Amino acid sequence: MTTAANRFWRETEAVLAELPAGVRLHRDDFYSQPDWDVFQMRYTSADGFRLFAWLSVPHGDGPFPAVVRMPDYASVHDIVYTPMRERAVVMNPTFRGQRQSDQVLQAEFPGLLTEGIENPETYVMRRVFADALRGFDVLLAEEQAQVGEVAIIGTGLGGALALAVAARRESVKAVAANTPMALGNPASLAPGLAYPLAELDDYMRLYPDRKDAVKKNTADLDPLKTAAKITAPVLLSVGIYDTGSCPLAFGEKLAERIPDCDLRVYHGAGEGGGHEHAQIQLSWLSDKLGLG
Amino acid sequence: MATEQDLQDFTTQVTCPDDFDDFWAVTLEMLSAISLKPVVSAEPLRSNDDVHVFNVTYLSLGGLEISAWYSLPAQGNGPFPAVINFPGYKSEPPVRRDWAKKGVAVLSVAVRGKLKSNSEFNPGYPGLLTSGLESKETYGYRGVISDCVRGVDFLRSRPEIDPGRIFACGTSQGGGLTLITSALRPEIKAGVSGYPFLCCYPESMAMFRSYPYDELACYARAYPDQEEQMLETLRYFDAVNFAPRIKCPMVVGIALEDEVCPPETSYAAYQALTGNKELWLFPNSGHGNAHEYPGQERAWLESQIELSAGGS
Repeated sequence: MTTAANRFWRETEAVLAELPAGVRLHRDDFYSQPDWDVFQMRYTSADGFRLFAWLSVPHGDGPFPAVVRMPDYASVHDIVYTPMRERAVVMNPTFRGQRQSDQVLQAEFPGLLTEGIENPETYVMRRVFADALRGFDVLLAEEQAQVGEVAIIGTGLGGALALAVAARRESVKAVAANTPMALGNPASLAPGLAYPLAELDDYMRLYPDRKDAVKKNTADLDPLKTAAKITAPVLLSVGIYDTGSCPLAFGEKLAERIPDCDLRVYHGAGEGGGHEHAQIQLSWLSDKLGLG
Repeated sequence: MATEQDLQDFTTQVTCPDDFDDFWAVTLEMLSAISLKPVVSAEPLRSNDDVHVFNVTYLSLGGLEISAWYSLPAQGNGPFPAVINFPGYKSEPPVRRDWAKKGVAVLSVAVRGKLKSNSEFNPGYPGLLTSGLESKETYGYRGVISDCVRGVDFLRSRPEIDPGRIFACGTSQGGGLTLITSALRPEIKAGVSGYPFLCCYPESMAMFRSYPYDELACYARAYPDQEEQMLETLRYFDAVNFAPRIKCPMVVGIALEDEVCPPETSYAAYQALTGNKELWLFPNSGHGNAHEYPGQERAWLESQIELSAGGS
């Protein structure tokens, strides 16, 4: 990892360490199911932002294995169904600007990827990574959930967040990252990409004098810079036609850097391996978490 | 996984209310009484040498201001053929520069509740599917569908658009809205409906435990005395009841492994179509992730656009 990236992550951890998480948990009677309870979770992240997460906890005695589903680059992170909810705690944390975490900042899509990018202090995506770390930490500290071993999953930006958290937290048991966003890597700055990465090129086209700032202020987030630190096994899926999140060459480099990586390459684009990979991922995670 | 036989064996319990057409005629009449008041503003950040992108606003049911991304070819003054793109349930409308680069105008509608159109109506996600279910008059989707209809009206009002060459597409909720809007606005010349949502509500909420349909199951569990009324309201918003009213050619794409929108229910909408229709089945794909779908959608719409050249 570069010195600058090291400093970024160290400072991010320090900012989080100084702030109490202030977790509030509220059972959602409407969305709770006969087999599991659904909770609305709120907690504090960097800069005092209050964040929201959906949390589901199976009925019965814990501890339960847990799955943290990091949010993709979208305005919503809802209560996505997974059959694992019947046997595992599932947390869907949001990042700042997403719905229900938007009291201070209402993210725009497209738009968030370059929000405040001219200055590292104001670039929102650097704080989005802090939000991901915070989400993971509050889950581990949550008594209600009785959390056992934890896997992190995510697609697109969520894939990059999952890998970043796994690089910082050795307690992560397994990671399943689909088409992780190349934000921070030079591959993300190429012209002609699809959205969401194309937002960066849009910005540099309109503000050509800020190209260096874009490169500099995103660089610390490059998944390649932290990949070698991941101790958990990683299931990584990429699509050969993906130009909006995880260009193939970037995905292959990423797989090389991750010490224990199972790379699956599919004939997809942003959807990566689609249904086929979803089945593989479910089976892989169940195995890693001892869910049978 | 659903099989083709499962699709064919499926029968929905959804029936069409006697006053279905009257209800929608009244709604369209209400819409026509509201001035469109379109505002088109350049979006330099999203524009490039090939495509000019604009943010559009127009007024819809209840006087709500609705936003949309409007992408126009940078070359030429038109009139251009146009595609109206309807959004999914959770996703924000995309900026579609790909088609505009090829000479087709694209309007990508942010229906009420989406980030760009939520100042007065913001039920959230989850939440939209159960918002105002107490009656057909108050149901949130009455407004959402109106917003799509008004998008077609916006395109028809534009001098740079060929009003005889307007096409529609969308996936998931956008697929359902493609069917519904095509029934309400015969000016749409052809459409592609992928993995359509908003079909066969009673069966869809019972078949899977995935969202968004599970919002309806949660509602029924929380308010058991209101389930009957909920299902009555939903009859007026079921794409299966709109399908026979569609006159233009229509494609329905179905993923047989779809765990969000049951394939059987999408097939019921396809079956209910009475005009020219085409079925695309994707055996090894789930909701929204058939690798072949985007290419097929693009090719089919391009062929329809080409067919319509000189015929309007």
